[in-house]
Amino acid sequence: MRTLLFLVVLSTGGLLAWGQTRAEDVKSFTLSNGMKFLVVEDHSIPNANLYLFWRVGSRNERPGITGISHFFEHMMFNGAKKYGPKEFDRVMEANGGSNNAYTTADVTVYTDWFQSGALETIFDLEADRIANLAIDPSMVESERGVVLSERSTGLENSNFRTLFEQVQAAAYTAHPYHWPVIGYESDIKAWTQADLEAYHRTYYAPNNGLAVVVGDVTLAQVEALARKYIEPIPAQPAPEPVRTVEPEQFGERRITVYKDIYSPNLAMAWHVPATRHPDFYALDLLSSLLTGGESARLTKGLVYDQQVATSVFAFGDQNFDPGLFTVYAVASSTLPNSETPVTPQLLEAAIDSLLADIRQNGVTERELQKVKNQKLIEFYRSVEDINGRANALGTYELFFGDYRKLYDAPSLYQQVTVDDIRRVAATYLVPTNRTVGYLLPTPTTQN
Amino acid sequence: MQKRFALLAAGLGLATALAAQTYKLPAYEKFVLPSGLTVYLMEHHEVPMISVSMVFDGGAVHDPEGKSGLAAATAEALRFGAGARSKAQLDEELDFTGASLVTFAGKESAGLRASFAAKDQALVFGILKDLLIAPQFDATELTNYLARTRDELGQAKESPRSVIASYWNAFVYAGHPYAKPTGGTPEGVGAITRADVAAFYTARYRAGSSAIAIVGDFKLADMKRQVTEWLGGWKTPKPEKATYSAPALSFEGARVLLVDKPDARETTFYIGGKGGVNFTSPDYVSLSVINTVLGGRFTSWLNDQLRVNSGLTYGARSQFATYRQGSTFQISTFTKVSSTEAAIDLALVVLDSLHRVGIDETTLKSAQNYVKGDFPTNYETASQLSALLTSFFELGYNEAFINSFQQQVDGLTVARCRELVAKYIPRDKLQFVLIGKAEAIGDLAKKYGTVTQKPIAESGF
Repeated sequence: MRTLLFLVVLSTGGLLAWGQTRAEDVKSFTLSNGMKFLVVEDHSIPNANLYLFWRVGSRNERPGITGISHFFEHMMFNGAKKYGPKEFDRVMEANGGSNNAYTTADVTVYTDWFQSGALETIFDLEADRIANLAIDPSMVESERGVVLSERSTGLENSNFRTLFEQVQAAAYTAHPYHWPVIGYESDIKAWTQADLEAYHRTYYAPNNGLAVVVGDVTLAQVEALARKYIEPIPAQPAPEPVRTVEPEQFGERRITVYKDIYSPNLAMAWHVPATRHPDFYALDLLSSLLTGGESARLTKGLVYDQQVATSVFAFGDQNFDPGLFTVYAVASSTLPNSETPVTPQLLEAAIDSLLADIRQNGVTERELQKVKNQKLIEFYRSVEDINGRANALGTYELFFGDYRKLYDAPSLYQQVTVDDIRRVAATYLVPTNRTVGYLLPTPTTQN
Repeated sequence: MQKRFALLAAGLGLATALAAQTYKLPAYEKFVLPSGLTVYLMEHHEVPMISVSMVFDGGAVHDPEGKSGLAAATAEALRFGAGARSKAQLDEELDFTGASLVTFAGKESAGLRASFAAKDQALVFGILKDLLIAPQFDATELTNYLARTRDELGQAKESPRSVIASYWNAFVYAGHPYAKPTGGTPEGVGAITRADVAAFYTARYRAGSSAIAIVGDFKLADMKRQVTEWLGGWKTPKPEKATYSAPALSFEGARVLLVDKPDARETTFYIGGKGGVNFTSPDYVSLSVINTVLGGRFTSWLNDQLRVNSGLTYGARSQFATYRQGSTFQISTFTKVSSTEAAIDLALVVLDSLHRVGIDETTLKSAQNYVKGDFPTNYETASQLSALLTSFFELGYNEAFINSFQQQVDGLTVARCRELVAKYIPRDKLQFVLIGKAEAIGDLAKKYGTVTQKPIAESGF
């Protein structure tokens, strides 16, 4: 994430197509250099956006340059040929635009928001940094400090980040999902000019990107500007594929991390298939069944009924390669009306018991219908504004292989049965396939 | 062919840029029910959803002595069973439709936000009516909530970023109701009873001091009839006007509150003092443009100096925190322990240069464009629009603010900036809150003012 000023949430799957939003509203063209554009005209406010998705994330890195994908998310703002250091932001903001960016293990996404009259300026700015990024050594040095501060403030303020980084590292022993997106401190301090130049040339080639424009623009405007500014940028050889496949896990892994905290935190993560696998839909609904709303199994069971947790959430990320299905819970200090502390073991046993129930007995038809209904509402919320729509379209194009899959999702969610839910729970959410992490108060302060 | 396209694009670009200057709030209707409840309705047909926002005169400023957290507990307790439904039944029925419904208390007001499919409006408004008219305040649910809240207050101290604003308010508003933390304190929460919640609800949740805004996919005439039917029955005694005076916010000298977090790897800090104006002031928009230059966007002077030029931090910003009767200005950022002095000193240099040198024409123009460009995206969704309409009621402004916003932005001059900076942005007797490792920065803190130190583990703020 580039700045704290804005939060761009990668919308979860489950986008349906009823009523006002239709596949036919999305127009598309591909430039001769391989860069594809998706365009949706929406004139409800005088604003538009340009989302640039690059197929590069920490999975494309190797030891020694971990975090370099995320570093580019910063360096792309630090000067190119026509617009020098600081000019990208200065020109954009002076024209009434603003921007942000985010990096995941799989993709790097740049988001420009602007009043539609500034569209050409935005294209000019983007083309400059895609074609001719400067990578000025002095900017590299000061940006290392910024990223070290970003890394440090994340660990300072987020228990989730502190623990989940270690859980991922234990869950993946071979695949690059092993390291955190932000990278190791030593690598952030050490990558070289040659590393940076090679990385930009390879991964910021137009054939490795996808552009989405939504808002108060026309297809003709966007296509004309894309041909003028982006099409002259030459394609590059396709990046090397990520070859390593994480070996199957045959036994539970456990890790412990200490921090000066109030009550234990617990993470459980199971290996699950990549987003394109047909089980994605059942797993996504399973995460809603566990923590989607106050009445969801884990939320109701742990927070309201047993009161052993103050919060709990389940999630699966979108990934090109097999990812993780995670449950994260924060323990209450004591059992209700008691001085007995809630130990992580007790919290873990409570979660195990609720999950075992689903593996053995499944869920009810009404519960399943509930989360299918929630998916429809989630969809409406995610496409209600132009930024949600741009992000959802790009995400589907990349992770599901075609933005039109967005419009197949309703039937795919509807097809999931209670047997599917029990099957995916019984297949993936088993102890031999999981990593359990405890974040505990540091022993010296434990008393 | 390509040239023709380019010309066409340029022509359209100009037209939309001009159109952007005339952004207006969509039409809405406002009326008052016989009970005194103010209602705002606006049609919005982007998706088949409805958003509701409500505001009540029940914020943390009304927390009684020793019961810090009562306003928050009362707002939350509206959901602890209502009408014929238990909490679990409410949760299940709302979840089944995918509806969200949250209640909360802020500093001066309490609120409710709901978002649901238009087809489920009868169910959700039925529940909403029960929450208002017949909340059960189930004692067991309340006990559980209070225990969980005490834990959450403890957990919040794990993250300096989550608690620094509460320390700031306690420090600069000491003795005034604005010093009360919105979330309460462990002791205050521990003392709250069901009777307290019921009494707070009776005293502060009154139709005459509340408003509801409904925005979404409906016909205005139909909704007007429906809302009257659904909520007309919420009848309460006339509201009692809240009485608290404007805070002084005058300081005899520079002061530092040092909150010791022995395991901190960073120092998280605020620097500021009395500053800004209330929402109804004619200078409100101008000051937001000025703040954009200083610390309200990526290229702001603070972010440019502390992040881009020096790599001291991931982000530095400034803002006004404005309540109905008082407003503060603060710079906020964080840096690793060893660069605490460098970061504070640089922030002070930037603040000083705003006063000494001021804002030039080019920078002002850029900030004006930025603020105008960003503006319409704040009012795009039904949820944003419903929250805006209840904020009209709460803060005493109206659509003239929205419709004249771009004009007001354009009216600001370099000379006027200088006057406003001198008047509304503090320059001396600055107040500091530092959360960090006292062992490492304790001596440094003395450089900036009279130091008060407290451990972060100490209850409250």
